[in-house]
Amino acid sequence: MTRRFLILVTASMLAGFLTSVSAQNADQLTKEEISNAEVVDHISFPIPGELFTALDKHGKPDWSAQFRTPIAAIYTNRTQIALNLGGLIADGYLAVEAQDGQQVKNIARDIKVISKPLGVEQDLLNRANSIIDFAEKGNWDTLTEELEAVQNEVVIAMLQHQDKELVTMVMLGGWVRGTEILSSHLSTHYKPEAAKLLRQPKIVDFFVKRLADMPKKVTNSSFMNKIRLSLFDLRKAVTFPNEAIPTAEEVKKIAEIAANISNIIATKE
Amino acid sequence: MITRLLLISFLISGLAIAATEDQQIATRRKALELAGAFANDGFKLRDGHWSGSIKTGEAKVVLVNLYAGNEYWFTVAAGPEAKKVSIKIYDEQGALVECDPYAESTTAAAGFTAAASGPYYIKIEETEGDPTAFCLVYSYK
Repeated sequence: MTRRFLILVTASMLAGFLTSVSAQNADQLTKEEISNAEVVDHISFPIPGELFTALDKHGKPDWSAQFRTPIAAIYTNRTQIALNLGGLIADGYLAVEAQDGQQVKNIARDIKVISKPLGVEQDLLNRANSIIDFAEKGNWDTLTEELEAVQNEVVIAMLQHQDKELVTMVMLGGWVRGTEILSSHLSTHYKPEAAKLLRQPKIVDFFVKRLADMPKKVTNSSFMNKIRLSLFDLRKAVTFPNEAIPTAEEVKKIAEIAANISNIIATKE
Repeated sequence: MITRLLLISFLISGLAIAATEDQQIATRRKALELAGAFANDGFKLRDGHWSGSIKTGEAKVVLVNLYAGNEYWFTVAAGPEAKKVSIKIYDEQGALVECDPYAESTTAAAGFTAAASGPYYIKIEETEGDPTAFCLVYSYK
């Protein structure tokens, strides 16, 4: 009788333990699940629209102050073209946020011109034209959708042309320009809560690793060497604990690094 | 005879690929229909999506990078072979994040406000049913 009671108690304790372990597992990803998590170009990287939405919660900035002088728009190196295309798409979001129709139209035209050597211009032509139409009508909500569609169509077209390295360059160019806009704005209008938006360590990690794995013919150039070196600095600057708040000085440092990378991207090789 | 067998196997594999593509288009449509409901609440739908195949007992995890303060809805739809799917959000340490859940047989969604900027993980599971296609989309505001 005592033996049967002991078996029952042990079995009940074991069942409880297993239930608890199972509940813990449901509440926690394993190390393998985290390290094997998929990174998907279409979904794993935030688009500039998400960044602007987050920053708009901290006030309504004067976005036009972040416009930059037009880039050369005539490049011969495909890697550099893709990087600049990403930057231009981010500029497009900025112009939409600033509700500056003329700026949106200028950027749409630059996107059409710069894309020609990539062989994706036909895919972009209709989108760029509709962006110009929507800008003339001041249809701002639709414009952000069109800009994201532009980015996705570029990515799809590049993948169809077996240009997966260029896809990374478009994402990198867009993310660097977005980070430059955000950090530059915060340098002059510092808000501690908004400064936390600059924390994106996994994104830089991803770019650093992807560039390291690329064929030498893509990354072996003077401007790519400079970008890769600066990305290490940027990674260090945007990697901080999630409860930490970057100081005004730290934000300025991020702005300087991001602006430097943007300049390298925009300067014709 | 060998040529005929090769031709038949080629046709079968072609049909299988077409069926998979059709399934993925159908699951994307279903995911977009559900995500459309959040658009009425001011959420903007991202144009990108993540699709593939899934089976019971095999979880799929994707990394996303989110911004603090933004509200998000992650929506998944599976093919008719699935009976039940689930979706969960985890923070960068892999801890489950509390979120608003929605589930109805082959569709599920999870909504939350990102407390910190940085990486999060979205885990999709088919808890009942046969192997099938899935599609994940997300919205933000």
